[in-house]
Amino acid sequence: MPTFRAGFAHPLDELRDEFDRLWTSLTTAPPLHGWGPEQPTAAFPAVNIAETDDCLTIEAELPGLDVGDIDISATGEELLLKGSRPASLSESSRSGLPEGSEGSRSSSVPEGSDGNGSAEPRGVTWHRRERGSREFERRITLPATIDPSGVEARLVDGVLTVTCPKAAEAQPHRVSVHSA
Amino acid sequence: MSSAAQSSAQSSAPQPSESNQAPGGSAPGLTYQPHVDICDCGAEVLIRADVPGARPEGIDVSYEDGVLSVKAVVPARTLPGRSLREEYGVGDYRRSFRLGEGFDAAQIAAEYRHGLLTIRVPRLAAVRPRKIAVHTA
Repeated sequence: MPTFRAGFAHPLDELRDEFDRLWTSLTTAPPLHGWGPEQPTAAFPAVNIAETDDCLTIEAELPGLDVGDIDISATGEELLLKGSRPASLSESSRSGLPEGSEGSRSSSVPEGSDGNGSAEPRGVTWHRRERGSREFERRITLPATIDPSGVEARLVDGVLTVTCPKAAEAQPHRVSVHSA
Repeated sequence: MSSAAQSSAQSSAPQPSESNQAPGGSAPGLTYQPHVDICDCGAEVLIRADVPGARPEGIDVSYEDGVLSVKAVVPARTLPGRSLREEYGVGDYRRSFRLGEGFDAAQIAAEYRHGLLTIRVPRLAAVRPRKIAVHTA
């Protein structure tokens, strides 16, 4: 049988598979967290949600936010995430950015729509302003009833993880079968 | 030297793209370009990058031949149970910037807090903009 042709085609098949894999990753990879300069088109912040038999876990990426910038409240059916990320410059003052007092160049980048242009110190030139600053409020309807008093949230390295225990009636419950 | 004024981002990877050297333990093969703010304050250039999920020990900042490179490995994290909704992806971050000459490589400082990486690249004293006072006779 055509062993020669099969052997010849093999590396090309591999190459084609490699391209298929690359193409799939480019076209189907999930987007980044959404903290871009443009206003988010989808619900914000983006969340990933998973469930086990007894709890729901909701995760969101909130880079640059401290615990005090986030407000979470829960009812039995709904989780509300609220918060705001300060504009880059107020972060600067928080982290002790020296005022750009040298030189007298004014900002060459037009201010975005976030309206913090008035606080711009002199001599600061922005080359990139991609990190959006915005307030957010997202109401997430949960796929199961939860126990609001047991909700816990952790913020680690800019990743918020909210764990919601399911209400007892929403947990699967084992039915034992008796024999006669 | 106002070279940083033309700091053009070298796109190190399309967004997102397959990472061919993702170290073990990181998210499955995705690499994103982090969003950044770059601000020239005269004495230094300040770069802020959103790299949520990265651990401080997984962040690598290097400066060579006028190019500042940022890499952040994000450990894979999976939520317990079955996934109901996936609105964003988790992957490593990689991006580099051409800053040009006139920076003090030895004094570059990076700080990481709450998923936000802040890098300060100071100019060499000799090339800092300087205001010269004019005296009247």
